[in-house]
Formats: sequence, C-alpha cells, structure tokens
Amino acid sequence: MGRFSLLLAVILMSCAISLVTSRYQARQLFVDFDRSQAQARDLDNDWRRLQLDRAELARNARVDRAARDDLKMMPIAPDRTIYLNQATAAGGAQ
Amino acid sequence: MKRLPFFNSPVLRGQLPAWRSRLVLILLFVGFATLAARALFLQGITTDFLQQQGERRYERTLTLAATRGKILDRNNVVLASSVPARAIWAIPDDARAAPPQQLAALGKLLDMPVADLNKRLADEDKNFVYLKRQVPMDIADKIMQLAVPGIHQQPETRRYYPEGEVMAHVVGFTNVEDQGQEGVELAFNKQLSGRPGTRRVIKDRLGRVIEDVQAVTEPVNGKDLRLSIDTRVQYLVFKALSDAIALHHARGAAAVVLDARTGEILSMASLPTYDPGNRGSLDTDALRNQAITDTFEPGSIMKPFTAALALDLGRITTSTMFDTGNGHFRYQGSTISDVSRNGTINVADVLRRSSNIGMTLISEKLEPREMWDRFTELGFGQAPQLGFPGAAPGRLRPWDRWRLIEKATMAYGYGLSVSLLQMARAYTVFARDGDMVSLTLVKRDSEPTSVKIYPPKIAALIRTFLEAAAGPDGAKLAQVQGYRVAGKSGTARKIVDGKYSTSRYRSSFVGFAPVSDPRIVVAVTIDEPQTGGYYGGAVAAPVFSTIVGGSLRLMNVQPDAPFESTVVAGLQERMR
Repeated sequence: MGRFSLLLAVILMSCAISLVTSRYQARQLFVDFDRSQAQARDLDNDWRRLQLDRAELARNARVDRAARDDLKMMPIAPDRTIYLNQATAAGGAQ
Repeated sequence: MKRLPFFNSPVLRGQLPAWRSRLVLILLFVGFATLAARALFLQGITTDFLQQQGERRYERTLTLAATRGKILDRNNVVLASSVPARAIWAIPDDARAAPPQQLAALGKLLDMPVADLNKRLADEDKNFVYLKRQVPMDIADKIMQLAVPGIHQQPETRRYYPEGEVMAHVVGFTNVEDQGQEGVELAFNKQLSGRPGTRRVIKDRLGRVIEDVQAVTEPVNGKDLRLSIDTRVQYLVFKALSDAIALHHARGAAAVVLDARTGEILSMASLPTYDPGNRGSLDTDALRNQAITDTFEPGSIMKPFTAALALDLGRITTSTMFDTGNGHFRYQGSTISDVSRNGTINVADVLRRSSNIGMTLISEKLEPREMWDRFTELGFGQAPQLGFPGAAPGRLRPWDRWRLIEKATMAYGYGLSVSLLQMARAYTVFARDGDMVSLTLVKRDSEPTSVKIYPPKIAALIRTFLEAAAGPDGAKLAQVQGYRVAGKSGTARKIVDGKYSTSRYRSSFVGFAPVSDPRIVVAVTIDEPQTGGYYGGAVAAPVFSTIVGGSLRLMNVQPDAPFESTVVAGLQERMR
C-alpha cells in the first residue's frame, strides 16, 4: 500500500512538472510565433515601401525627362518603325 | 510532584460557570461566520470587480490596424499605397522639462519653427497635443533617439501617391484619418478601407504577449483596387495637355481616353492640377476634375449625333442637298452664321465644314421629341454611372419647352450642356457599331454592356463622314502618321454674363482611331485659349493627334494608314 502511494506521488510530481514545462514551452512558442508575425508585417511594410520607391523612380514624368533631356531620345514614329507581323498573334497585346 | 492525568487536574475540579464555555464557543462561531461572510462577499458579490482589477494588471486589448488597400493601374503600377508612419504627440506638462536645445533639434526634425512648437506646448490645460501627424518612420526613429521628455509617438499610416499630379484627379486623396476625400479614394472608400481587428492578450512582466485570451478578431485589410487607367497613356495625355496650355495660355484643359471595345477609361486628365502628396497650397479650382464635373455647351462636336438621327429616321439621305447660302441665315429672328461660305452641300460636307446653317436645315426635318429622346439615350442630361464623386449630369431641357430656334441651336450643340466624359462615351456609338458602351474606371474582366442607339449602317456612314472631317479638307491637324483617324472639332463660345462672349472660347475635339477597327475614343477640350487661335481644329486637334498617336503606339496597335517608311530592314513588310 505504501509503495503504491509512493508511485502515485512520483507520477503526480512528474505530471505537475511536465505541465509546468509544457506551459512554459507553449508560451515561448507563442512569443516566437508573435515575433514571426511581426516580422511578416514588417516585411509586408518594407515591400510596400519598396514598391512605392520603385514607382517613384519609374515615374513617367521622371523617365520622360531622363529620356528627352539626359539621353536626347526622341519619340518613335511609324515611319521609323519596322512592323513585324506574326500570323498567330493578331491584334497585339494591351 | 505527583503526576496527575489531565482530567484529574485540580484546576478543573472547581466548577466554572457554564456560560463561559458557551461564550467561547459562540465567539469562535461568530469569528468563522464573519470569515465565511467575507469570503462569500469577495467571491460572490464583488467577484466581477476583483477579476476586472486582476485582468487590468496583466491583460491588454490590442488594436490590430488594417491597412488601406493599394490603388493600382491596369498594369499593376502603384498609384496609391499606405506605409506606416508615426504621429508625434506631447504631454505639455512633461515637455516643459525639455532643454531648449532638444526642442530645437525636435523642431528641425519636424520641420517646424521652435516658436510654433513652444506655442503648442504652452497649452497646459490639455494633456494631449499632436505636434505633427504622419511623420515618416525614419524621422520618427530619430525623434525617438532624441528622447525628449513628454514627447510620445503613436503608429498610424501615411498614404503616398507616386504619380503625383499626373494622377491627382483620378486617384484623389485621403485625409489624416485615412478616409477618402476625392476621386477614386472617395468613390471606392468602402472597398479600400479595411476593418481593424482586436485581440485580447496576457502580457508578461517584460511586456511580451504570452497568450491570447479570446479568439483574435483578425483585421481585414482593404482590398487592392485595379483601375482601368493606363499610367503611360495618362502621362502622355497630361504632357500633351500641359504643352497645349503653355502654348495657348489657356485657362484649363481636360481629356479623356476610352477603350472603344471595353468601355474602360484609359486616361482622364484635367488641368490645372495639384500634388496630392503636398496639399499645403490647395486651390479649389485645381481640385475639380474638369472632365467629369464641368459641363459646357459642346458646340460642333454635337453635330454628328443630330445628323445620324436624321439619317436614321430617313428624313435625309446622303444625297440630300442643303443650301447654306452665303454663310448668314435669318432663322426665327436670329442670324445663324457659318465660318465660311459653303454654298449648296450634302450632309457629309455639313459635318466636314461644320456648317451651322446646314444643321439648322437638318433640324427642320426633326421633331423636338425625337431629338430629346436620342440625346437622352446618348446619356446627355444624366450623370454617368461611375460612382465617381461630382459626376455632373449636364443639362438637357425637356423637349416640350423647346422653341424652334432652340431646336436648331441644339442640333449644333448650343443650349444644352454636357461633360467631356459624357461626350467621349457618346462617341463610342460611332467607334462601335452604333451601340454605346458602359464606362468603368475599374479594370474590366468581363464583356461590357452596351446600349443600341444607331443601326450599324448609320454608324459606319457617320464614321466615314468623321474621317473626312478629320481629313486633309477638315481638321487636318488631327491627323496621325500611320493611323486613320476620325473626329469632329468644336469651337463653342462661352457664356459670360448671360451673353455669348466673342473672346472666350472652348475648343474641343472628339474622335477615335484607327478607323478600320476603332480601339480608342479620345475627347479633348481646351478652356479659353488665348494665343495661337481658338478654333477646335487649330487648338484641340493637335493635342488629339498627339494623344492618339502615342496611345495607339503604347497599345501596340498596328498602323492602318499608308505612310512612307524611312527605315529599311532586310525583310520589310508592306503596309496595307
């Protein structure tokens, strides 16, 4: 009888300890998860910012100025263009 | 000492009064009863309060901000996007402790004079003062490093418009609360703005979130919106218009480019414009999108609709001749005059030479009711269904109150008012097979709906007339190398103080190209050109030409008109 209760006590103790550790682990994992989510949000924000930066740099007004003033380019005209026709791809892309 | 058992203690032997033991018993009982009552009170009655107090010490409700959706053009170019920013706020009482050099540094970072800063901090009654909102993150981080006492930050978002003034009228802008105020931002505000979420969490000693208490209400980010606008075409239009304004010292200008097949608005520009990212010096005049909100008397660009109606109803044929005389015509007590002396001409020439007298004679054969019906079908007098703020319906008076002279003037575009967008949409009947397509600002994936207005045969006929009107004998400045264009110029006198002005005009040109298979409809209007002429064929037609040439090239449309090629390749293709 005494042995049996000793065994139960050991089992109880180990259960209690494992509960504490698993609880601790769960919290740790949750913190990690939260951090990853924040990171994902940050990356999303960075992506937005970079997208904006790209749009800013590729702005038509800027490209136009660079082409005309810096590179001395001129608009193309049909008489200086060779049109190639592909039998299958009719209509052209938008 | 004699050992005595406890019960034999002599002390007990003496008879004590019975009430003493009872008193002790009662006192003990009362003590326990008090404890039980207290426990009951804490557990039962004040439990909510106590639990709240406990929760307040470790639980927090976090607001999860939703991000406003992006606005993209048809090729996924970003037109508006939100990025995080910070609001800088202060507790004036605490901020008084800040040394002056710190405030100076803060003022420099915020781009605010120190005197301004001090004025805001002087108000001691308040314990919350915004210093500046929507401060970019990098500057906010620098302010954080300054560690000025009493200065705090709060996250928010800031909206950026990379295309700036080119897109201003289409995209619009939001206010500091992230609510749309103008343009697409306002029209599609509901769709763009997200729903913020909340989560209730337990935080540990270090302020880290360790557990969700309730299910998280996820924030719903705003939907991205893909417009039908093509940024490249838009820039082209913007450039052409600003060049025209500079050349003619005009008061304003607007243009619309429509995809004739899908009804998508490829470009809509209005000048003067503003920079949505820097609205410090916002002029209400510049805020108006003239292509949609301004209505004007269209003038000659109205003529094809009347002519098409007369042809459709069989009142005239292509060989009916009209005697326009010497260019002056007395009609109902007024003189109607033409720009030139045209003699006796047919309907094609009436359109090509833009004869007001010819149109008056055509209107003689039409009933007011018929004209009103057709104009209404063409969408005049009703605001276009775009969901766009400020779309003007224009004015088309009920037919039963038209006088004869008014019927005549309406045939050539006076006495009614339209917006440029309405005009461009109406012209899709000639660019298509007589049906008017419904417009959209959002990229269309399905087939557009269209309303049948003229029979295909009439539309094709008018198409040839309009091609001639934009041909070598008409508004030849509208011509585009490599493409067949069709269109009609218009010069309308503006009403100043209730009278038609002789010095203020509105020059317009509406047309489409390529004629063999129309892809785009372009409408241009220049408001009050001062120098370099005022006729639509001289002022608006070159702008039309620039826009058509550039747009068709951007859309990879193959030329349908013959032209001399100046380049030679090994295998050169013969043009049709």
